[in-house]
Amino acid sequence: MASGKHFDNREAINTFFIEGRDILENMESDLITLEKGEMDDEILNSIFRCAHTIKGTAGMFGFEEIESFTHIMESLLDDVRKKEILINSEMISLLLQCKDFMGAMLDFFQNNESTLMSDEMSGTGIMLRERLMQYFEKGNEYGDTGKVTNQSWHISLRFHENVFKVGLDPQSFISYLNKIGKIVNIVSVKDSLPSFSEYIPADCYLGFEIKFLADTTKEKIQDVFEYVQDDCSIRIIPPQSTIDDFVKLIQELPEENFKIGDMLTKIGTLTETELNQALKLQKSSVAEDLEKSDIKPLGQIIMESNMVPRQIIEAALQKQESIRKNSEKVHTIRVDANKLDILINLIGELVITSSNVSQLSEKTRSNELIESVSEMTRLIENIRDSTMNVRMVQIGETFRKYERIIRDLSKETGKEINLEMHGGETELDKTLVEKIADPLTHLIRNAIDHGIGKPDERAAMGKSRAGNLKLNAFHETGGIVIEVIDDGNGLDREKILNKAVEKGLVSAAHQLSETEIFQFIFEPGFSTAEKITNISGRGVGMDVVRNNIELLRGTVILKSEKGAGTTVRIHLPLTLAIIDGFLIQLGSDFYVIPLDMVVECIEVEKADIKGKEAGNFINMRGEVLPFMRLREFFNLTYEPVRENIVVVEYAQKKAGLIVDKPHGEFQTVVKPFGRLFKSLKWVSGSTILGNGQVALILDIPKLIHELQGMEIFLNS
Amino acid sequence: MGKNILVIDDATAIRQVVELTLRDSGYEVVQAADGRDGLAKLDGQGIDLIICDVNMPVMNGIEFLSAVKNDEAYSSYKYTPIIMLTTESGDDMKAKGKELGARAWLIKPFKPDQLIEAVGKLII
Amino acid sequence: MQQYNENLKKKVSEEIRQYVSFRIGNEMFGIEVMKVQEVLGQVELTAVPGTMPFMKGVIDLRGVIVPVIDLRLKFKALEKQFDRDSVIIIAEIKGILAGFIVDSVSDVISLSESEVQRTPHFSTEVETDSVEGIAKYNDKIIIILEVDRIFRAGEIEQMIQGNR
Repeated sequence: MASGKHFDNREAINTFFIEGRDILENMESDLITLEKGEMDDEILNSIFRCAHTIKGTAGMFGFEEIESFTHIMESLLDDVRKKEILINSEMISLLLQCKDFMGAMLDFFQNNESTLMSDEMSGTGIMLRERLMQYFEKGNEYGDTGKVTNQSWHISLRFHENVFKVGLDPQSFISYLNKIGKIVNIVSVKDSLPSFSEYIPADCYLGFEIKFLADTTKEKIQDVFEYVQDDCSIRIIPPQSTIDDFVKLIQELPEENFKIGDMLTKIGTLTETELNQALKLQKSSVAEDLEKSDIKPLGQIIMESNMVPRQIIEAALQKQESIRKNSEKVHTIRVDANKLDILINLIGELVITSSNVSQLSEKTRSNELIESVSEMTRLIENIRDSTMNVRMVQIGETFRKYERIIRDLSKETGKEINLEMHGGETELDKTLVEKIADPLTHLIRNAIDHGIGKPDERAAMGKSRAGNLKLNAFHETGGIVIEVIDDGNGLDREKILNKAVEKGLVSAAHQLSETEIFQFIFEPGFSTAEKITNISGRGVGMDVVRNNIELLRGTVILKSEKGAGTTVRIHLPLTLAIIDGFLIQLGSDFYVIPLDMVVECIEVEKADIKGKEAGNFINMRGEVLPFMRLREFFNLTYEPVRENIVVVEYAQKKAGLIVDKPHGEFQTVVKPFGRLFKSLKWVSGSTILGNGQVALILDIPKLIHELQGMEIFLNS
Repeated sequence: MGKNILVIDDATAIRQVVELTLRDSGYEVVQAADGRDGLAKLDGQGIDLIICDVNMPVMNGIEFLSAVKNDEAYSSYKYTPIIMLTTESGDDMKAKGKELGARAWLIKPFKPDQLIEAVGKLII
Repeated sequence: MQQYNENLKKKVSEEIRQYVSFRIGNEMFGIEVMKVQEVLGQVELTAVPGTMPFMKGVIDLRGVIVPVIDLRLKFKALEKQFDRDSVIIIAEIKGILAGFIVDSVSDVISLSESEVQRTPHFSTEVETDSVEGIAKYNDKIIIILEVDRIFRAGEIEQMIQGNR
């Protein structure tokens, strides 16, 4: 749209897309709050502002499809906040769909150069527009008689070309109007003005739209124009006429419908809503009959929205107020996540270099130098910690997204769900938040689909009709715990065990703890759901959930009691960017083991483990451990001078890894592997050593799993 | 000597595009995300012109305008020209703003040229 | 090496096509300068377990972990220890940034389109589909390689992921 601009506004456009999505998220969360019955003027205003901001910004960047669509939403929301149209749950559902559609448009225009949407999207857009427009027609509390709110007359004049020739001055008639009333507003219509070459100075090309306030009659106004009535088309519409009258006017006038409409709103004869109604009516007189069947009587709409008791509203108001006060205190700036990643990368390199400098300085034995270097190292570590902190975001934002999913699911399944959220202020790394969102969605879907029963079933079991779903987040020993708790049917221990035996995952004779049995749920292709629904139960998912969580160096555990509910507990590290590691050496290569998985490290005599192949066991002070020589496992060909055993533990399983040389604890910045390395089996990431060499981070859960797999193989 | 313009709008993208446009014409730009933020930015800075959105959270454009024109704390900005940004739906706001002393209105969407023209007319 | 990299940059802008020439065994090869990001001397490689023999390891290229592949193995030349002449050519192949070990890099040479003889049935140890043509330069035959075709689709990924 921008003509004559010399700068590159791509960055601003990008901001528009990012910010647009944030705004839509706020809109969704506000709409859901409204739906819960927390009716509040400020929420209505906030929703309106969401649409308003997107409309205005979209217009600035020339996204006309977004602008015009959002304009209708904005108009409706404007009427809603002015209490001209009452909002009900049906309208909220529609607005949520509109919000989704706006999100789809943002995605579309961000990824496509085209300014035209696909046919499918256009179709959705038109459908939603039509449904929004219905509220203007039927949902208006004051305007349900079809009358406009305006208290003045509307006069529409189109002087004929010859009016000057017959010696009449249009100006004088208009001035005369002021003697019987007051011209509130007037616009001249110059649309019939011809091009310069065809222009005849003696001809009149003018028309006027006049908003006229007067306590008078139509006849008296007509009298004013008596002398000119043969040389002028005059249309007079009395105050509080019906929308239909304006529709007729718009259609009769020679100019384009939108232009006329625009003038009517500009001079204040019609409100924008009324205009939209008029334009709509005029367009869809045929479609009207079809739509009528879907429209609820006004009374019903009022009933629906008045059902919320006053006390609840007041309580909600207070709550909203305190939330808003808290959120106002936090000043934020928006930073491109990539910029942050680059910064963190650089700081990682800086930490590495500084440890190098620190080693070198110690060689000089200059106390002054050593002291200032150690001060510098301390500062660099502070910088690193603060930068890491910048990446921390509250999990609450993610939690709130589930409100919508839960709402939709409960409608879909006919189940009633009470959602409770705790610990939304718990902070964790942004990357973690993004990556945990999908597994969490799956767990929530599972809880609703398989866990929580239908209201009648629950009532029969003596439970509340509505199921309770709780999302918890809290800090625990250097990590964060996220819980999904439902009070549904719980897991059937026997059924899972039978299935596991049937699938050959375990022998029937094996004694397993309850936790171990529940872990089978996370095996690939393991589903005990009897019927396949479109929500879950396709046998894919839980293994993916576990894999995703483990990729984040996290763990997931299930607790459940049949008939009483299920708790899924996810334990995640605070950040993916830093790892407390244990550095080991194999030949000339270095590897890092996450420190929290290291139990102990002992030098072993070669003779103790001589000839023992991977899959064998070593006796560690009476404890029998499976072990493997990493050197052999990785097919490295050299003979080490010494061997050490590092005992690692993950998910209550221990194993021994035989390495050459341990180098001790080591805190470092993790370099994530690109997609190229995604399916590397024994390595989960990498880090850079002081000399610039890459050290690989061992994927201990996978290695232990591999060893355990060998164990089962040997047993059977 | 570059003139300083304060741009207040809750939409970051709008602020960015306005800033780009103005910088391209040699103006210096200070951004603020809402009226309250805008008032804070007025403190101690030599602002020559203010461009302010109407509909914003926390403190809207009309409240901001009223504070600048009437509050003693901002008396040094009492005569600083203010351009209000609005969409067509904000008619009632427009009257109120005029009453309070807004010098010009720009209706969104506006073109960069229109912005530069408006600023050029008002800035001293 | 620094000067070398600068040379690369300087010559890119000229009209005629330019190639980085390198040696594997007894053969001289050339790849288009535009495809080469830089050339590295000796760096410490970190072996990655579970990958195929071609994959010699990874290096840290200013914060980016880049896989390094031994082109000598790919071209069926004998593997040899990294020596003083060995270099790693960093290039983007099919959208993947990777390093390739070659015996030595000679120079950046300029060849006009007509100097490169298209030879669809050229026979050498190199699989012919990656050969764009041959050219004579200073009385030596240079095999011009089409970088994107040195590896089949997904081959680099396969090397890294191994066959497990």
